[in-house]
Amino acid sequence: MTADWSPLWLSLRVALLVSALALVAAPWPAWLLARRNWPVVTLLTGFLSSVPAVIVASLAAPAFTWPVAVAAGLVRAVPYTLAASRTAFQSLNPSYVKAARMAGAADWRIFWTLALPLHGRAALAAAADVFPETMLEMAVALWIVGRLSAPPAGAILLTALAGGALALWVRRGAGAILERQAGR
Amino acid sequence: MTSIRVKKRVPPEFALEADFNLGTGITALIGPAGAGKTLLLEMIAGLATPDDGRILLNDAILFDGQARVNLAPVRRGCGYVSQADSLFPHRTLRQNLEFAARRFPRLERHRRVAEAIEHFNLADVAAVRPADASHAERLRCSIARALIGGPELLLADDAGFHSVLPGLIRAHFRGPILMAARDMDLACAAASELILLHAGRIVQRGAPRQVLDQPATAEAARLAGYENLWQGTIASLDRAANLSRLEFGGFALTVPYLPGHLRGDRVWAAIRAAAVRPRTADTPPAPNVIPAELVRVVERVQSVRMEFAGPIVAELSRSQFAALGDNKSWLVELPGESLRVI
Repeated sequence: MTADWSPLWLSLRVALLVSALALVAAPWPAWLLARRNWPVVTLLTGFLSSVPAVIVASLAAPAFTWPVAVAAGLVRAVPYTLAASRTAFQSLNPSYVKAARMAGAADWRIFWTLALPLHGRAALAAAADVFPETMLEMAVALWIVGRLSAPPAGAILLTALAGGALALWVRRGAGAILERQAGR
Repeated sequence: MTSIRVKKRVPPEFALEADFNLGTGITALIGPAGAGKTLLLEMIAGLATPDDGRILLNDAILFDGQARVNLAPVRRGCGYVSQADSLFPHRTLRQNLEFAARRFPRLERHRRVAEAIEHFNLADVAAVRPADASHAERLRCSIARALIGGPELLLADDAGFHSVLPGLIRAHFRGPILMAARDMDLACAAASELILLHAGRIVQRGAPRQVLDQPATAEAARLAGYENLWQGTIASLDRAANLSRLEFGGFALTVPYLPGHLRGDRVWAAIRAAAVRPRTADTPPAPNVIPAELVRVVERVQSVRMEFAGPIVAELSRSQFAALGDNKSWLVELPGESLRVI
């Protein structure tokens, strides 16, 4: 019996695209939102970050194609990366921003020359988080739409990856709880 | 003319209101934390917007609340040295200077950066990042960065200047300097004018010696370093004898006649700790010598601070303190010539 590797390649493609697009799309809006204290943004990004959009799409979309999966993945990945970047940008030393403004730097230049080099790692870390989570969602979504028939090698690999992603997800949740407790 | 007249409310309850002209020298802005020094400097620099008022720099309007003029920071002609370390940590000192000069054409930018490095002795550290430079080098670079655009006014926000820096700045910048300062000694040494700011209001301004010797209000006296400050009542006024008697909680003082006051007026009396003279109990009676209970003695690097009930604080040199010996009961003399009645 020949192993069916296509689910793995499909998941990898979707997860990579989702991570890359989230990394490109989220930081600039995060920078614009970083200087505004809008609770509704926090609530919205928090809610969307927790929705398994790829799984929902696999259940709801008439045809679960890879572009649909990418679009659905972005629904969760962009708010998540945006929230993480926004928090990081909020910690940018205001003295740096003032010095840059005194030198005539516009918002975009401050973002490009200060915010990204100093706090862009948060966006990278968030995008890195997004990758295994999307893999996990793809595993479940493909199982739902019947693309995973037992016991091909792809399914075994996906299960292993999904386990890792689940562990990462739990770690992130625990980290957030610990951070909140430390904040108190 | 350079004049600043601004109003700004900061919810929930802070309000800043300032109106003053700036001379060509160094003006020191003195005030406790939260007095509004940083906000005032930021409004002049264009980093904060006043609710109302007018800011003129050499007759050019930087801000006018009525006419809705509000120039961007870079167009104001102000250099700003912030309170915190504001050099970009991921760039070298040279790159920090280049960032501030980026609006100039390439050759001009190179010239300005080279001059700044030379004038502020940064050649040895131009290629290192701020974390690898000393505090003094970072401070010099911050000032060089603020001056690199050729400002007409330098604003320095409690930047931790030491006594050498104002001279170094003056060698390369002839315009007015407005600096918020914590160090009263530095302010007195460097500034030609002091502005005392308390809770968003200017309580006094003038030449340093005048402000220090003749505080206009109790807040001004506190800011000017008068540690002994008591509120009392005028008990008697005798123009012929040139005497006024002031009564406080537990003691009375005699000072020269206070023109323009009435008996019963509430006044403040202030005296510096260094002017208070502790005496042993066997000292003969004299005016303004009052018994005082010693609460504690605090050793300092070069002096001894005696705290009496009242509260009255005296500061003595170590030799003066040693000469007093160990006493159980004390008197303190509050010399009339050192007393300031407000």
